[in-house]
Amino acid sequence: MITVSGLQKKFKRTKDHKKDHAHIIDPREDSQYFHSVRNVSFSCKKGEVLGLIGPNGAGKTTTLRMLSTALTPDAGSIYINQTNIVQKPVYGRKSIGFLSGSTGLYGRLTVKENIAYFAKLHGMSKQNIINRCDELFSLLDMHSFVDKRADSLSTGMKQKANIARAVVHSPDVVVLDEPTTGLDIMTTQTVISFILSLKEQGIPVIFSTHHLDEIAQLCDSVTVINKGISCFSDSVDEFKKQGKSEHLNKAFLTILSEHNHV
Amino acid sequence: MFEVYKKELKELLRDKKTLLFVVALPVIVFPILFAVMAFLTSQAALQAEQKVHTYAIINGEFAPDFTDTIFYHKSFKLFERGNAFKTIEELKLAIKRGEIDMGIYIPKNTEKALDNYETTTWQVVFNDAKSINFLYQRIQKLVQDYSDNLQKNKLIQLGLQLKQQQAILNPIIVKKVDTSDKRENLGEKLGGFLPYLLVPLVLMGATYPAIDLGAGEKERGTLETLLLTPITRTQLVLGKFLTLLTTSIASTLITVSSMGAWIALALSFTDLDIIASAFSRLVLLDLILIFILLLPLAAIFSAIALAISIYARSFKEAQNYMAPLSIVVFFPVMISLMPNMELTSKTAFIPITNVSLAIKEIVKGTVDFTYIGYIFIATVITAGLLLLFCVRWFTKEHVLFR
Repeated sequence: MITVSGLQKKFKRTKDHKKDHAHIIDPREDSQYFHSVRNVSFSCKKGEVLGLIGPNGAGKTTTLRMLSTALTPDAGSIYINQTNIVQKPVYGRKSIGFLSGSTGLYGRLTVKENIAYFAKLHGMSKQNIINRCDELFSLLDMHSFVDKRADSLSTGMKQKANIARAVVHSPDVVVLDEPTTGLDIMTTQTVISFILSLKEQGIPVIFSTHHLDEIAQLCDSVTVINKGISCFSDSVDEFKKQGKSEHLNKAFLTILSEHNHV
Repeated sequence: MFEVYKKELKELLRDKKTLLFVVALPVIVFPILFAVMAFLTSQAALQAEQKVHTYAIINGEFAPDFTDTIFYHKSFKLFERGNAFKTIEELKLAIKRGEIDMGIYIPKNTEKALDNYETTTWQVVFNDAKSINFLYQRIQKLVQDYSDNLQKNKLIQLGLQLKQQQAILNPIIVKKVDTSDKRENLGEKLGGFLPYLLVPLVLMGATYPAIDLGAGEKERGTLETLLLTPITRTQLVLGKFLTLLTTSIASTLITVSSMGAWIALALSFTDLDIIASAFSRLVLLDLILIFILLLPLAAIFSAIALAISIYARSFKEAQNYMAPLSIVVFFPVMISLMPNMELTSKTAFIPITNVSLAIKEIVKGTVDFTYIGYIFIATVITAGLLLLFCVRWFTKEHVLFR
């Protein structure tokens, strides 16, 4: 289980941004800082899939980067199995499998070498790596291209390789940042099937997306982030009720509209 | 740390661009370029040597012996309308038009002036802009011979025999007794050249791969993934740093070995005793010493290049930052070659300059080992501090996620 509470993260404004200070209309900006994440809280239990949605620039990626320990929060906590990974980031790195849309592979290494490299960095033994790779290659139907260099792969193959790389160390929690963005229908389906397989294994999955149909298809709960604040965090059923409609778009827009008027 | 090192090396060895910079350029391209340059230069020198200069002379009849000498000289040919010019301005114009290569203006009183104990000034008009030009040397020698002859005859007229003339004209002869041996002499020249070759090579061996290891990771989107593994930032930086150190040293060794092999090959075909003797005087210990000094220097460059690369957002941005680094590195090397710059207890602590000076001293065979110790310690400390900075740099969010 992963529990996130009161996360905050601000970034120092660059000189160029400071020049535009007179035109500030975003409540997250002040003369010195941009408060990207102001107060984000949610939790995701074992076997649950949580969808993180919000407009562009709402703070989703920053939140996920804090979850992955790439960024250190200014305030708040992230508990995985009763351990606050803000204080113990190495534990977090061992426990989380992270994949973002912009994640790449080492082009001059083969798929197998790419995945084995990250497995080694996670301290896995040689035999463990062989077994785990074999398991993942079968699960993601990758056997046909595992010995190809990554720079010769199609986008879909790369995404499969990235997924395998992200979970090679059998993490307790999987965090995916817009995992289906830019993918074709077939590869998107592979990613969705993979998320469902993680769910079946009881692994909590948190993923951000702009596709509300994926929320409907995969998620047990939803967190809406707007202007750096989690303004909604509950089950998908509760989410639907907000819009008084079966269409998730309506619920999403209603939540944003109410939050913008607060 | 070693997993990072092994992976980075494997990836670099599969990169055609890196192989081009680290292996192909020094082993094949540089020697070919040097050979072509040497060939073209020697051809140009040969042409200049064989060139016959067309000349015109004004008032040649007032120095008939000289006029005859130059007329029969194999490198000079009298312009067919040699008597057509009356003034220096006309000679200049003829040179501009390409009619003649040189004009000589002899004053009318040349031979009589000597009787009155006066000197005369001859003017040689020519275009001195050409880089390889033997014209002035040749004419100067002819005039000097003629002048010596006039002087000798005049002194005989005055009743001075040749022996007396020599004593009066050169009452003191300075004889040079050089305490420097051949090695020191050659080392001064070769030793000054070596840092110019070695220091940029060490730098180049680190900078190109560094771009791939830092900015390249950002651009590919692999850096973030790497930061999410349990290895510490220190291990990560050390892995990358060792890779750069390896490529830097490897590229230097490959280049120097390649040049050595090419020089040996060239020597087997031609008779270049000076070069052969200069290189034969470098003993194994000297080479080891140079290598020991280059190691921490390579560490300094590797740490700087890695820090710059990780700060850059993209490959292109990193390349832009690396370019001024070459100039910054050349500057201390140039300082070491300034006149009177010597290895002292002060210069031993100036980064890069110290190594450059020490290489010169090693080649000359006059190195003080105490200074080598100072330099090694100073360079290792600098490299260590830069490496620490690099590790800290890798923990800064504003650097990693710009």
